[in-house]
Amino acid sequence: MKRYPCSGCSLLCDDIIVKSDGLFIDKIIGACLKGKERFDQVSAQNRITSPLIRKNNELINVSWEEALAKTVEIIKNSSAPLLYGFSNVTCEAQRAGMDLAREINGFIDSNASICQGKILNKAKSQGINLTTITEIINKGDLIILWGANPAETIPRLLNKVLFSRGKFRMTGREIKTLVIIDPVKTASFRVMGVRDLALIIEPDKDIELIQMLKEECCSADSIPSGGVAGIDKSDLKRLLLHLTGAENGVIILGQGVLQPHADYDLIEELLDLLQLINDRQVKGRISLLLLGGHFNMAGFDHVALSSYGVSGKLQFENKKLVKSEDTIVSKINKENFDCSIIVGTDPISHLPHSLSSKLARKPLILIDNHSSATSRIADVILPTSITGIESSGLVYRIDQVPVELKKILNPPNNIPSDEELLNQLIKKFNGGAK
Amino acid sequence: MEIYKWLPKTNCKECGKPTCMAFSLDLLQGKVKVDDCPPILKPKYKKQYEKLKEMLGSEEGQQKELRINVDEDLCDGCGICVTVCPVNARYCPPSLSGKAPEYPPEKHQLFQVIGGKCELLNLEHCRRLDSEGRERECHVCETYCPREAIKIEYV
Ligand code: SF4
Ligand code: SF4
Ligand code: SF4
Ligand code: SF4
Repeated sequence: MKRYPCSGCSLLCDDIIVKSDGLFIDKIIGACLKGKERFDQVSAQNRITSPLIRKNNELINVSWEEALAKTVEIIKNSSAPLLYGFSNVTCEAQRAGMDLAREINGFIDSNASICQGKILNKAKSQGINLTTITEIINKGDLIILWGANPAETIPRLLNKVLFSRGKFRMTGREIKTLVIIDPVKTASFRVMGVRDLALIIEPDKDIELIQMLKEECCSADSIPSGGVAGIDKSDLKRLLLHLTGAENGVIILGQGVLQPHADYDLIEELLDLLQLINDRQVKGRISLLLLGGHFNMAGFDHVALSSYGVSGKLQFENKKLVKSEDTIVSKINKENFDCSIIVGTDPISHLPHSLSSKLARKPLILIDNHSSATSRIADVILPTSITGIESSGLVYRIDQVPVELKKILNPPNNIPSDEELLNQLIKKFNGGAK
Repeated sequence: MEIYKWLPKTNCKECGKPTCMAFSLDLLQGKVKVDDCPPILKPKYKKQYEKLKEMLGSEEGQQKELRINVDEDLCDGCGICVTVCPVNARYCPPSLSGKAPEYPPEKHQLFQVIGGKCELLNLEHCRRLDSEGRERECHVCETYCPREAIKIEYV
């Protein structure tokens, strides 16, 4: 039976069996609840299937011509457009978004830059291993969840990395050690076995733990007898033993570590620690995996790098790439933009109020397939098909492995994919020239 | 295993079972009585005998049926039970790598995630019943379900 990848989250499980007559989906086998909900979006209540524009403070259905004309008008009247989102679209659409940004001299950034991009770059430049899911399934023996609760966010991750035994071993769960470092007992703690290690850390003390481990790496027995950050000395020693003794260990960093720390000290210290440990490692190595929710969170950097030679955000002036220190946050904060094009995300509910209110004050064009807090304040809404179900394309999995999403159904009203729509917009600005 | 704890645990086979563990499972299902274990009637096990009698109470000796309940409201289809169940592992090789088993399911298969929820398919092949003389203490599906959606019980 044919299997399809799921675009429900960044794990992109590629083993979903879909029973469909080409018009509707009647059975989904293998996908978790979150994945099934993704498939349900096709016929969801809040689906948008025709373009809308705001007239007299009310959103009304209009023709595509009218909606596109309004979009062009807003962009033409703008000298500093902002393009943001792009982690729930394909790489092809990300590329089109960057090209559009170039045509209209805009600034483009993805959701990923807020939490992931920087860390990944730093890890790469330090030579820290980034492992893949397949490798963990087949060879992993130590899984450390740090501020990560995949049981809630990426439902099938624990099944794959912890319970599966892979192709080459006779045992699975039994030889894998799980360590969870978290201030609260999350749902993921429930899969712990007797040999595993649960470390309840005091909130925001991760950095103390890392510094202690670093010290202990350099000169043994520097752990104070009372422990550190609420964790016992003996548990710390066990943690270090696991870290240095594992053959194929992986630290999975979750939102708990990635998000709240605007300063990157914590991450830098952690990467240093990893380097120290890998130097002392005799049998193997410890690698890193960053958890993010959106299904193509990892793609934006790859596309920016291959199309424009830089990773992360891009600023264009006079149709040329220019250097910029700005991030999406500083741009919005300084109100250094005069209209925004939001693609496949809902910043009005995700960003802190101080930022979202500034975003809402300027004309906003939304490209998405369902209504959200952002659609409620948008000036133009251009609906697109649901990627991975109604349109195909390349996306990058959390472990930076490319996966090809496939088309299963035709979209309603023949609405375009994100990629097609962005390319249409590009044509409106460059008259069809490449 | 509460019951197992109170048995002599010597695996002497006098009851006709290969191990005390096997005996304890039959006891739980009501297939045998505490008195079917000769050693436990000896004075030195008196306390344990009384404890067992008390635990099993009046239900002793009444045949009970294995049930595995999957709570649909709690389950989020993570597929851990599909992977850890030893019966699935034996008959559906893809599940060993965390992959969803084929559809339609194999005839021995116990769990399959359909429509985002776990479905229990062939309870009669559960290790606890279909053991061919091996110990039948398996309960990994119940132990590892992160949602605590699986409950094994005898009714
Ligand atoms: S874990 Fe993510 S990718 Fe896998 S089935 Fe669930 S939602 Fe889809
Ligand atoms: S007779 Fe009692 S002690 Fe001997 S194996 Fe059976 S249960 Fe265990
Ligand atoms: S008790 Fe064991 S054999 Fe039975 S369903 Fe659960 S995991 Fe499978
Ligand atoms: S392990 Fe629990 S939550 Fe996961 S699929 Fe099985 S029953 Fe559902």
